[in-house]
Amino acid sequence: MTAHSLSVSRLSAGYSDADILQGLDLAVPPGRITVIVGANACGKSTLLRAMSRLLSPHKGEVLLDGKSIHRMAPKELARTLGLLPQSPIAPEGITVADLVGRGRHPHQGLFSRWTSQDDEAVADALTATRIVDLAERPVDELSGGQRQRVWIAMALAQQTDILLLDEPTTFLDISHQVEVLDLLTDLNHARGTTVVMVLHDLNLAARYADHLVAMTQGRIHVSGRPEEVLTQETVRQVFGLESRIVIDPTSGRPIMLPIGRHRMADNSQIKEMQP
Amino acid sequence: MTTVSSTLGRIVDGRQRRKSRWLFVIAVLLVLAAAIFALTLVLGQSFTPPGDILRMLLGETVPGTSFTVGQLRLPRAVLAALAGLSFGMGGVAFQIMLRNPLASPDIIGISSGASAAAVFAIVVLSMNGPAVSVVAVVAGLGVALMVYGLSFRNGVAGTRLILVGIGVSAMLESFIAYILSQAPAWSLQEAMRWLTGSLNGAQLGQALPLLVALALFGGLLLHKARDLDALRLGDDMAAALGVRVGQTRVVVMIAAVGMIASATAATGPIAFVAFLSGPIAARIVGNSGSLLLPSALVGAVLVLAGDYAGQFLLPSRYPVGVVTGALGAPYLIFLIIRVNRSGGSL
Repeated sequence: MTAHSLSVSRLSAGYSDADILQGLDLAVPPGRITVIVGANACGKSTLLRAMSRLLSPHKGEVLLDGKSIHRMAPKELARTLGLLPQSPIAPEGITVADLVGRGRHPHQGLFSRWTSQDDEAVADALTATRIVDLAERPVDELSGGQRQRVWIAMALAQQTDILLLDEPTTFLDISHQVEVLDLLTDLNHARGTTVVMVLHDLNLAARYADHLVAMTQGRIHVSGRPEEVLTQETVRQVFGLESRIVIDPTSGRPIMLPIGRHRMADNSQIKEMQP
Repeated sequence: MTTVSSTLGRIVDGRQRRKSRWLFVIAVLLVLAAAIFALTLVLGQSFTPPGDILRMLLGETVPGTSFTVGQLRLPRAVLAALAGLSFGMGGVAFQIMLRNPLASPDIIGISSGASAAAVFAIVVLSMNGPAVSVVAVVAGLGVALMVYGLSFRNGVAGTRLILVGIGVSAMLESFIAYILSQAPAWSLQEAMRWLTGSLNGAQLGQALPLLVALALFGGLLLHKARDLDALRLGDDMAAALGVRVGQTRVVVMIAAVGMIASATAATGPIAFVAFLSGPIAARIVGNSGSLLLPSALVGAVLVLAGDYAGQFLLPSRYPVGVVTGALGAPYLIFLIIRVNRSGGSL
């Protein structure tokens, strides 16, 4: 697998005339998992949309291997860079295999027919996401967790080296959230797919990210290894929240515990409980 | 545990099963349309032996048959089939593009636009013949552009376009009512034809422009079929798959409006055919493969069958639009209730 480089340079973008992103720079480490976090309306989704050409920049560029993605043919880009948007729509009654097969769109020309390569890509995607047994089931009958695996399978069938995901765990219960993130990590390890995703849950973000990016007000506040990024200082500045950071005994990654205004145990109890 | 090769086998099997089902549906619809077409030719007020019809079609002059079939039934059946194909394909293209079965041209004002212009041309401008059709087509396109423009804000959202369209459609309907209330009796008859849609007085000469429009715009739509299909996954997902969303929309819109308006110009707005064909086709093919062809064929079957029923199966003679309208209205209510409940898309 060739590692493609994806970077954003002095990007200003937004809807109508207002800039949500304000001169943002970002280099995505190839072959790693990058997670973007930030408060609501800080521009996370806008950044992801601009990086996948869904939004044209007002200023600056998104560069794939040094080439501006807005000057590439859409299908050419879609063979290298895939995106799973926040709320894709499954047509009523469509089966899993049929939907996953739609991921082959950028590989098919105007008149070229479905090839055995397309079949293989679909079979491979279903196997990797462990939904082979659901292949002929209608998507609308599946549970939320299964459905999210189907969408990821579709993105896999697209066979891109870079995969962007906008909140792939929203609406899932915690076990399915972990399952989806484990699956994406498997793909990253097995195929070297560069993964960039927006997540809401800071602790899951720190747990699964190789590279954590914290955004605020259309800019990157800080980025780096999760241990460097997830600090009391960052949480205060990015989310306006007082917090305590401890180390997850399982992963060794930082965990953020919010400090609210209620349910405080007194200090002596806390001291006793701290390891 | 399944091995990779058996997985592949299942994928291939499933895909081929979907494909053969699609082909089967196409074949059945073709046969059905052909059967009603043949019935229209053979059996009207009187029975005409198929042999006579065949001889007539081969260019012989058969007394009686040449008039009843050649002048009355054949033009009627040909026009019914062509208009049905156009309404069916144009309607479903809109429904797919905006991911909403309510987004059919007869609901969002395109048909009312064509009708209003035609009625205005007939009653106020005293126009007749092909000129009225041209005015209707241009007005249909104009209304489509207006609805699109009015609902544009950071791109076009399906729901907004539908609501704007329903509003525009209501305005046009009241405009039509006003013109009709002012109309002299002699032009009322001709104007009424533009309101329900009818194949009465169909002539073969009308079929040629419709055939050209169908080939041109239908070809354009089929050419864009795969991109159109990708739009069903949402605009963002389609764009992520390399579809030029804006460009696809514009092309599909022009082609669909062109087809609908041309058919409307020939037969009047045959009520609800554009609206009904897509959902019926989706129900039959089970949502795999493109819906354009199945829906076009369903449209043809609806118009052919509706016209035949309106002429011969009901106690008195009704224009085809009355029959399809009676079918469509309950379905519209059903759909609004269902879409409300599930937010379902086509």
